Amino acid sequence: MNTVAQMALLAAAGSALGLAANAVSPHPAELRQPVLSAAESGGGACAMPASATVAQSTATPPPWRPVRIGVDEAKGLCTACLAGFVDARGPHEFAHGHIQNAVHLPAAGHPDEAAVVAQLRTYPLVVVYDGDYSCAVADDVAGRLRRAGLPDVRVLQGAWPAWVAAQGPSAAGMCGACGPEAFGK
Amino acid sequence: MKLLARAARIILGALFLWASVTKVPDMAAFAESVANYRIVPPSLVPVVAAAVVGVEILAGVALMLNVWARPAALLLAGLLAVFTVGLASALARGIDLACGCFGGTDAATWWTVLRDLALLAWALGVAASSPSPPPSPSPALDPARAP
Repeated sequence: MNTVAQMALLAAAGSALGLAANAVSPHPAELRQPVLSAAESGGGACAMPASATVAQSTATPPPWRPVRIGVDEAKGLCTACLAGFVDARGPHEFAHGHIQNAVHLPAAGHPDEAAVVAQLRTYPLVVVYDGDYSCAVADDVAGRLRRAGLPDVRVLQGAWPAWVAAQGPSAAGMCGACGPEAFGK
Repeated sequence: MKLLARAARIILGALFLWASVTKVPDMAAFAESVANYRIVPPSLVPVVAAAVVGVEILAGVALMLNVWARPAALLLAGLLAVFTVGLASALARGIDLACGCFGGTDAATWWTVLRDLALLAWALGVAASSPSPPPSPSPALDPARAP
């Protein structure tokens, strides 16, 4: 038997062994269930809270958790001006490029936060994003906006890199409220 | 030299055996890692993930026991080549993923790619130093079978 035939035999026997190992695993992979990547399923680190269902009706409502929004849906809302966008990154990143008409609301706070919240209140939906796939900063800011009473706040899945990759409408320029002092000038 | 080749083969086998066995307790997590590479259709991911683990176990044992060591090393080299290309492609595309190696959830980096390349070279070295299977006798050349 030549090497290729032996490799084929090893691959076949190994596959059978793997399926057997899966059968005895305490956490087996569901063989008939397609497994999507984190980015496709919304199950990644940046999208985990969205997958949390709130089906249970209990006496106390579950705590609010940031809900994700896909970049394609967000792009449509941006083009149709149906959502307000909040950039939670630092002033340099904001100045370098941001979603068109996004307001700058960094984690450290905004000099006139009440006015920004009032402006965002005119939108039925607010989308927050930051620059990191983990969306940790955006989650914080989204929570803050939610506590300020905005009814529908979501976090952009994939953050700013996903928006750039999707070629969403963008603009550049300093945040007026931050001022030049934010740039150390 | 023979001793070095033998040690390289046994250590490589043990390494893959360990890497595969650590995945068995949570095959679902490994399937997710495979899915995150985004090179396998979602419907095939669970079967491919299970098959990869089984092939690693069997090839690891084969290397350690020196049974079909050459095809086992080549099979592992093939797996490593696919992992390396998939990982490099994912990193180049900015996909944030865990490599799924050794049952861990550590984020993959370019160091992971380098490590996989080193393992690939190792596996190819083991394949080269392992004997080829003897050719099957041809009836035309076998005096016993000659008419």
